Amino acid sequence: MDIKPILSSLRRSPTGALLVALQIALALAIAVNSLFIIVQRLELLNRDHGVDVENTFVVSWVPVAGRFAGEPAMREDLQVLAGLPGVVAATTVNAVPLSGGGSSTSLYTQPGEKGQRGDINYFAVTERGIEAFGLELVEGRNFDATTVRKLPRNGSEFVPEVILTRAAAKELFKDEPAVGRTVYDSLGQPATVVGIVAGMIGSWPSWDQAGNVALFPVIADEQQARYFVRALPGRRDAAMKAAEDALGRIDNGRVILRVRPLDYIAASTYADDQAMTVYLAVVIALLLGVAALGIFGLASFNVGARTKQIGTRRAVGARRLDIVRHFLVENWLVTTAGVVVGCVLALLLGLWLSETFELPRLKLYYLVAGALVLWGVSLAAALVPARRAARVSPAVATRTV
Amino acid sequence: MLEMQNVTKAYRTDLLETHALREFSLKVEKGEFVAVTGPSGSGKTTFLNVAGLLETFDSGSYRLDGEDVSRLGDDARSQVRNRRIGFIFQSFNLIPDLDVFDNVDVPLRYRRLPAAERRERIDAALELVGLASRRKHLPSQLSGGQQQRVAIARALAGDPALLLADEPTGNLDSLMARQVLDLLEQINEMGTTIVMVTHDPELARRAHRNVQVIDGQVTDYKPYEPSSATVTPLHPAVAGGASRA
Repeated sequence: MDIKPILSSLRRSPTGALLVALQIALALAIAVNSLFIIVQRLELLNRDHGVDVENTFVVSWVPVAGRFAGEPAMREDLQVLAGLPGVVAATTVNAVPLSGGGSSTSLYTQPGEKGQRGDINYFAVTERGIEAFGLELVEGRNFDATTVRKLPRNGSEFVPEVILTRAAAKELFKDEPAVGRTVYDSLGQPATVVGIVAGMIGSWPSWDQAGNVALFPVIADEQQARYFVRALPGRRDAAMKAAEDALGRIDNGRVILRVRPLDYIAASTYADDQAMTVYLAVVIALLLGVAALGIFGLASFNVGARTKQIGTRRAVGARRLDIVRHFLVENWLVTTAGVVVGCVLALLLGLWLSETFELPRLKLYYLVAGALVLWGVSLAAALVPARRAARVSPAVATRTV
Repeated sequence: MLEMQNVTKAYRTDLLETHALREFSLKVEKGEFVAVTGPSGSGKTTFLNVAGLLETFDSGSYRLDGEDVSRLGDDARSQVRNRRIGFIFQSFNLIPDLDVFDNVDVPLRYRRLPAAERRERIDAALELVGLASRRKHLPSQLSGGQQQRVAIARALAGDPALLLADEPTGNLDSLMARQVLDLLEQINEMGTTIVMVTHDPELARRAHRNVQVIDGQVTDYKPYEPSSATVTPLHPAVAGGASRA
């Protein structure tokens, strides 16, 4: 292969090649890190959320001061909702999963803020909470209806029982069994772990501990309570309409504000992630496009500027394939120089992103994939000028102009 | 060595058909030094292009070194150019980014010769043209005469049966032109057949035989009469023994 003379040639006229190599390096560094972020976002969007996102909806309401009857009114509404056709279960909640808003607390395995600590996103639910969310109880038991009660507003009272997700149980108890164990709030008040659910993403999907969730047997305070309802598959929209109509007919001192499906709420929460995914994908496409144009431009310029040389090479025995190969090898060398520098830049950029925005470290196979893609793009971009070069007649060698 | 019979070549555009060669016939024997002369536009360069397989022709036949090369495919023509023909161009046609050594190496690489053999051939060719000490120089660091000698070395390194020279001294001053011509004569005396296209009568007089071309036809043709000149072989590394790869 003609690598040595091509390298000598590149060394003697390096400017264009260096600029294109730099362009490839920057394209690789940015594209690889963008792709890494996109994949992370897609993993976030497509992971198992635990909650039955497709079949659940949320009824938001506000109490009318002086007219709202409190827990009895909420119990009445829940009964009506649960009795609607196509509805599986309904519960009050203090916050909506995947909504971007919620409550968290720290739980400990020993009183006095001692032992293992877990930062937990908690949901106040009734005994129908697990059913309404669509969660899978894998160990222990559900709350008993008698345990569920309304806590005094602004009080410091803790709950007697909790149900944890597997992730929360692992955070607190590592690999030891959690059911039957006691957890403590920051005041040292105990609660027994009565059940474990398989998994659930809480209020803040982007939080790195979004799976650390606890269910508390509490009727949520009316200032923040909403109804969370799960319908049978395919019957959610009808159930939403029925819920709005049925609750509208009951005058118990609260006003229904809106009824929204959970997938709509989750989509709003994920809107930024989705927008970023699209934005970064466009950036990658543009970078690859610009890099391809740079390669195409350099190769086309070289072919145009070296027509006589190509003719001479053909005259002294180069086959068309030799000419194509010459330009592809030259382009490959430039691309490879760009890829090598680009890999270093990509790692540095990844390190900076990781430290600045607390992102995971860039995986090395992204670099391999990026290098392969850029080699492919560069090959495709150089092929057209290379084939044009191969069509140069050897008779060009004898032309004096 | 070179035998063309009734070769016709026309260039066509939508509006015009130009006959560059008409029933062109020429025979050049092995070891000859032939000058092809004629005024501008007479068809000299077209003859050279056809003889060097740089262009195809429309009709007629062409035998080179005993082989009919009239209808070869593109790759086969490349191979014949690479192995049997050496070219010397008016503007030298060296590759400016490559040094002397790499320029001479260009056709040898296309022949896929082993590196050691290439190096040996290049050294011998550069020695022959007196530029062994300039192997690392770029063309821009050489005079016109030296550049043409590099081009001659490039043509000779492949041990061609036929050397085609297109106005080899056209871009040189008289002193350098004489040196190049002396070199060509020396190469011819070593046994290499040379066909030189020129419009310079002074230059043509140094050839064994002149062939005049006007309007694409040979108008003054005399068959070759071998002289008694001694034939000295090329440097063994350049000649590559009797065999041509």
